[in-house]
Amino acid sequence: MTSGNNITTQLGKDGLGEQPWWVLEWMELINSYRYKKRLERAWIYAREGNVISIRFEGRRVQAEVQGTESEPYKVQLWLDVLTDEDWEFVLEALSQKARWACQLLAGIMPQDIERAFAASGRRLFPFKLEEIGSECSCPDKANPCKHISAVYYLMGDRFTEDPFVLFQLRGRSRKQLLQALAEKRKIILQNKQEIPGASINQAIENYVDAEKWWQYNSPLDPDLVVITPALDSSGLAEAGDLPLAEEPLYPQAKQIFLEHLREHSNQKAQAAMLLAMATNATP
Amino acid sequence: MTLLHAAWLQNSALPCLALWADNWQVATPIELDRLEAPPLHPLALSEPELSNWLQQQKLLPAGTQHLELQLSLPTRSNGLPLMAGELLPKQLEWWPWRVSALVLPAPLAATWLSKLPLTGGGNNCLSDELLWWSHLQRWVLSLIARGRWLPAVHTNRSGLASGRWEPLLNHESDRRRLEDLASRMPAAIHCANAPEIAELACMRPSAPRLQLAEIIAVLLDSQLRSDQATYFNEIETPKLDPLLAAWQSSLHCSAADLELVEGDCQRLASATAHWRETVAGRMAPARAVLELQVPAEGSELWQLHFGLQAEANPSLRQPAAAVWAAGAGKLQLGDINVADPAELLLEGLGRALVAFEPLGRGLETATPEQMQLAPAEAFVLVRTATARLRDVGVGVVLPASLSGGLASRLGLAIKAELPSGATGFSLGEDLEWSWELMIGGVMISLKELERLQAKRSPLVQHKGAWLELRPGDLRNAEKFCALNPPLSLDDALRLSANEGESLQRLPVHQFQAGPRLQAVLEQYHQQKAPDPLPAPEGFSGQLRPYQERGLGWLAFLHRFNQGACLADDMGLGKTIQLLAFLQHLKAEKELRRPVLLVAPTSVLTNWKREANKFTPKLNLIEHYGPKRAATDAALSKSLKGIDLCLTSYALLQRDSNLLSNVDWQGVVIDEAQAIKNAASKQSQAARLLAKPSRQGRFRIALTGTPVENRVSELWALMDYLNPRVLGEEDFFKQRYKLPIERYGDTASLKDLKSRVKPFILRRLKTDKSIITDLPEKLELNEWVSLSPEQRRLYTKTVDASLEAIQRAPLGKKNGQVLALLTRLKQICNHPALALKEETVGEGFASRSAKLQRLEELLEELLEAGDRALLFTQFAEWGHLLQSHLQQRWQQEVPFLHGGSSKNARQAMVDRFQLDPRGPQLFLLSLKAGGVGLNLTRASHVFHIDRWWNPAVENQATDRAYRIGQQKKVLVHKFITTGSIEEKIDQMIKEKAKLAADIVGSGEEWLGGLEFTQLRNLVALEEN
Repeated sequence: MTSGNNITTQLGKDGLGEQPWWVLEWMELINSYRYKKRLERAWIYAREGNVISIRFEGRRVQAEVQGTESEPYKVQLWLDVLTDEDWEFVLEALSQKARWACQLLAGIMPQDIERAFAASGRRLFPFKLEEIGSECSCPDKANPCKHISAVYYLMGDRFTEDPFVLFQLRGRSRKQLLQALAEKRKIILQNKQEIPGASINQAIENYVDAEKWWQYNSPLDPDLVVITPALDSSGLAEAGDLPLAEEPLYPQAKQIFLEHLREHSNQKAQAAMLLAMATNATP
Repeated sequence: MTLLHAAWLQNSALPCLALWADNWQVATPIELDRLEAPPLHPLALSEPELSNWLQQQKLLPAGTQHLELQLSLPTRSNGLPLMAGELLPKQLEWWPWRVSALVLPAPLAATWLSKLPLTGGGNNCLSDELLWWSHLQRWVLSLIARGRWLPAVHTNRSGLASGRWEPLLNHESDRRRLEDLASRMPAAIHCANAPEIAELACMRPSAPRLQLAEIIAVLLDSQLRSDQATYFNEIETPKLDPLLAAWQSSLHCSAADLELVEGDCQRLASATAHWRETVAGRMAPARAVLELQVPAEGSELWQLHFGLQAEANPSLRQPAAAVWAAGAGKLQLGDINVADPAELLLEGLGRALVAFEPLGRGLETATPEQMQLAPAEAFVLVRTATARLRDVGVGVVLPASLSGGLASRLGLAIKAELPSGATGFSLGEDLEWSWELMIGGVMISLKELERLQAKRSPLVQHKGAWLELRPGDLRNAEKFCALNPPLSLDDALRLSANEGESLQRLPVHQFQAGPRLQAVLEQYHQQKAPDPLPAPEGFSGQLRPYQERGLGWLAFLHRFNQGACLADDMGLGKTIQLLAFLQHLKAEKELRRPVLLVAPTSVLTNWKREANKFTPKLNLIEHYGPKRAATDAALSKSLKGIDLCLTSYALLQRDSNLLSNVDWQGVVIDEAQAIKNAASKQSQAARLLAKPSRQGRFRIALTGTPVENRVSELWALMDYLNPRVLGEEDFFKQRYKLPIERYGDTASLKDLKSRVKPFILRRLKTDKSIITDLPEKLELNEWVSLSPEQRRLYTKTVDASLEAIQRAPLGKKNGQVLALLTRLKQICNHPALALKEETVGEGFASRSAKLQRLEELLEELLEAGDRALLFTQFAEWGHLLQSHLQQRWQQEVPFLHGGSSKNARQAMVDRFQLDPRGPQLFLLSLKAGGVGLNLTRASHVFHIDRWWNPAVENQATDRAYRIGQQKKVLVHKFITTGSIEEKIDQMIKEKAKLAADIVGSGEEWLGGLEFTQLRNLVALEEN
């Protein structure tokens, strides 16, 4: 494990190709660091679980790393925050293309998001390692020290849990961003002509039909007559890998957890089918 | 009858199912205006009553707790809560009522609900709500079986986070089910969720979709938690990091709080939300929809339009232009309001992009409305992406000719007609017919198909429609052309009966019958009332119009050699129609050999009487009694020149060999429910006799029960009538009985019904076409005989008494004659009555022929959900009958007699008239119940024994038949043949006026009878 190449392949069990693009970009950024020796030590640190916690607090990343002293060192990372004016440019650009809003609303980080940021002349992702501000409470004067670098390594994965933390680090939470986008949209839509027939009526609310108060006389849905298992289309299979960053000390944890879920799914499915089969016939 | 209800308690710390029950009774209305606190529900069961009743019904769940609940219920303005099934009053208010309930926390509720029946109806003490609950739980089981869930982090109202299993309802079928169950949710389910603070406040439920989604989440979660999962143990858990370990344990333990610091909770919550997000959107009343439109003339580019579609009704759509125009306001989809429509559309398109990449190209502007697709992209959308899109909760609308299903596949359009020369056509006969190939709604020739196939493009245009060709299409078409098969009438019946039928593997899209064939088909499928046949020559009586149609129908099926089941409602005259049919055969000189009619012993007498009356020209014998023919020779001798031979089910079985050696022209079974149990000897004997191994033996079944609704009984009936229709019993069980009876599978039921429909004719008194043919009040004589015990007792009594009367001094004679007559009438009812027995022993019904017949009639009307009044002049008989009937049908039968108190009488009358689930049978003594009561809910009146004066009987009859009665009233009068009852009946009929004069209203005149007159009156006549 002396080359950078080796180090990066350790991160994802399935290889880099399976990682979301923003993780790849992040790893590339780290691998551009010149001091490979220090990087390797940082990697071992990260892998051995010395990074005790990583938290996104507001616009900063707060982490605790267990060093040689008994008290863990406190590490802070931050990116340059965009000014309101910059954000205005970004939002303007984002609102011009429906796809960006679509993807952001559906929880997907658009691959070409940087093009929206280019409008402000800024970037979402740090272009160079130097753009990442960092601080560590360790006595090492070098920056990034191995504690900071260890946190770097784990950050990529943490982005997969919620890709919108990047926006947060740049000064807008996902909620703020979506709200601002909705505002922008309103302005665009106001210029649209109202289409006849799409008028807004007052809803008849809380209307209770006394006739239907007790009544239900539908037959059982034919598809529920026989209860069968799914072939390859369980929710677990559809949702795929759990976007939760791996804890270095528990390298297998996520796999075990998902395996438990699958096993649980099978057991419960079997039990449900048995129970369904045992249902009493009409008296 | 007590009815069980189930409400959902969502406000309690642990969501619960609350069981409560109500039972109709006379209750004092509550002055609503003066209420300060919610009143006690006057009709609800108290805590001990509820537990006891549930115990009795074997429905008491384990581990319940008692709780007093406050329910918002529809209330009459006079201050009484409304009950399920009651007619709605004009003025209705919602008021809170307090009831005792048993509450089941979610895990127990799920187990309990799983055991409930999945089909409603029947004599059920479970309310409709419980049927809804059982369907809901069935769905939850299906979600679990299909793994439609993801674990999540749930934050409750007090901000505590916990692990929770949440349903994934993104698939099309589950979304539709959610809408279905939400729109059909009985509002009563939420009657317990009133806000707690305002004591008199009522909650009117709204947003059923969200409420339902929450109930599903709770039920699902409770069933996915396990305490004993094999992997959930000490050794494995340490391999999980603290975050996952905490989550896993919170997903399984019943105390589910996540033991994590707040930051980690949030991190877990957002990661899991992100996990779920790309698979399933949020709960909303509408979803994004993509509508594919075919290329414009001269273009090869397809159009894909964006829009929103209502979840509840996918046909309600608005284009994206309208969505953008709605701006930040609401969008109207029919009567559905959609908030934030733009965000909803954008989010949906975001998920759609994952399933169908080319979509991205169409989203480059700020407010896109549509895009163009290349042919290859359109094909991908049609063939594969549509399913994926629907799975992520995005609607797709395809052009009709491509919208999948059988309709867009290559199939046949058929034209057929009966051959012009055919008159006495039979089922196997070939028709004149022609066919064309058809795909996506347009005709296509084999040549054209070849040409299109040669284009090697999956989507092709033909006669203006865009079609999807599949690889096997051309081959199948060529095969069919080469084969060019014949088409029989049998095929035509099948093809015209059901949609989705196929011929030689090609689906039949169109079936066009020529006028002559059409007439046959319509009559066969009973889309058209059968052509009536007038009463045949030699029939002495009148047929009502619907009876003429019934006769026509019997003759129609006879012509096709198909067995027929006439299942008309009681009182419509099945006997007469059958007799008219036999007379019709005789008049047409088609009746050449004897017909065997099998009936329960109790109605044989009735048959004989009716046959003598209506068809005197039919030669009839009874194969019954000890003197019946015992050898083949004797039987064949006795059948010489005979048209109709009557026998009982018991003898059908006992004399099976003898009877099966006769060359019957036809077999008729009356009260055909007698053969419902296919395994019984009786049923086997009947079916053996009907096997059409011998040429031209017709089969007819008569029954008054709704046979078509009794799936398990249909097989034996059809095996008797037309064995080919439902096939072997094992096949029938697998294909129909199990899916329908156990799970209420409607698709199977529909298929079954369409198969048997041609052979069953059932008309109800309430049918529009019937009701005008019937008088308001229909009187029916029920002729019955005597059981051997009755007969012995009757003769013995007559012999002994006549002697005594002859010797008696004049002053006592009167009294003795009266005593004799009374005793004879009692014997006609039941020996137990004459012998002054006080309890109902085993085999009680078998001792009286009258009681047997009564039971058969009651069975039929109870089945139909009708109500009846039963009058008797003997209070003792009333008591015996009451306990017998209560035992027999396990339901309450009130008895109003001279000894009932005024309050008790009123209570009985009120319950019978007003209780939505009140008793169906009401016994009354002729004297106590004959006057002054209003019992219009009954549509049947039974006079179990005869009174001397018809006026008294009529008065009693009028209890049911009065102003306010909307139904026809059927009056059944029991007459024991050969006995005193028949003599009385004759006297009343022949000298109605005279009798009224002589007889007055009492029995005094009887004492003045001459001895010979008396003997003639009481002696048992053998008929």
